[in-house]
Amino acid sequence: MTNSAKRLLRNPWLELAARVMLGATFIYASYHKIIAPAEFAKLIYGYDLFPPETINLIAIIVPFVELITGIALIIGFYPQSAALILNAMLVFFILIISINRIRGHEFDCGCFSMQTDRLDDSPGYMLGRNLLLLTMGIYSMWYGLGRARLFVLTKQ
Amino acid sequence: MLAVFIAFIVNKISPVGIPLVGQWDLEKGIVHASPDSADFNERLEIDNIEVAKLIYDDANTLFVDARSEMDYEAGHVKGAISLPMNDVDANIEDFINRYPPEQAIVTYCSGRTCEDSHHVAQLLLDLGYEQVNIMIDGFQTWQEKGFPVD
Repeated sequence: MTNSAKRLLRNPWLELAARVMLGATFIYASYHKIIAPAEFAKLIYGYDLFPPETINLIAIIVPFVELITGIALIIGFYPQSAALILNAMLVFFILIISINRIRGHEFDCGCFSMQTDRLDDSPGYMLGRNLLLLTMGIYSMWYGLGRARLFVLTKQ
Repeated sequence: MLAVFIAFIVNKISPVGIPLVGQWDLEKGIVHASPDSADFNERLEIDNIEVAKLIYDDANTLFVDARSEMDYEAGHVKGAISLPMNDVDANIEDFINRYPPEQAIVTYCSGRTCEDSHHVAQLLLDLGYEQVNIMIDGFQTWQEKGFPVD
């Protein structure tokens, strides 16, 4: 990696921009799930991966984890911990999409809207989107270590 | 932990909150996060497709397709009319003008993972229709059984 690329990656403004974009994406993604948990639960059922007893619990908890960690990432409240949680969720989403793609199971991820009667995004598009977000999350977590960061409320 | 705590509190007090466990067993009926919701009147359900066929053969009952117009156009129960839940406001007045309250009706959508037939059935009951039932196995099972389709 060239020195200019390293300087760019270590720019705290770039790191802040990644945090804000990732955090805002998760806050936005949580909204429709929080206002319609029953519909979100049905989409989780459509993944055909989770035991029936866990579906409602996932539909109740996941949107608030997205919301709280998204806010924490943006305002700089334990931002690396927030990025770690969001990255873990993104890896989990990527696994879900990949498993269903491999077995040819069509489903709507419900990531940004509820479309129970039609499929909105192709698995390839969903995977690409999640990999892009994961890249931002890893960058935000990794390049924030031991360097100047903007708008961080807590010491890491 | 904070997020989990907030999630349970909000779910408890929210008007759209759901129980901790839903009904996700297709054998037991329509799958839904809130099986006890007023939107799901189990007393209206016909959970045996053969019984639905007997009602169909009687020829006095109107079959109402609650799926989207596109799905209806792709195939529907022979003689059924379309009253798509996703565009019900645009069609309900015409429906009321065409069919009297004593008309026997069976609603259906795509199957046990679909709720639209319940919503349309409840709407028709609220509008004064007296004999409304729901074929919960939906069009897919009807077609698989080789029953009449258009």
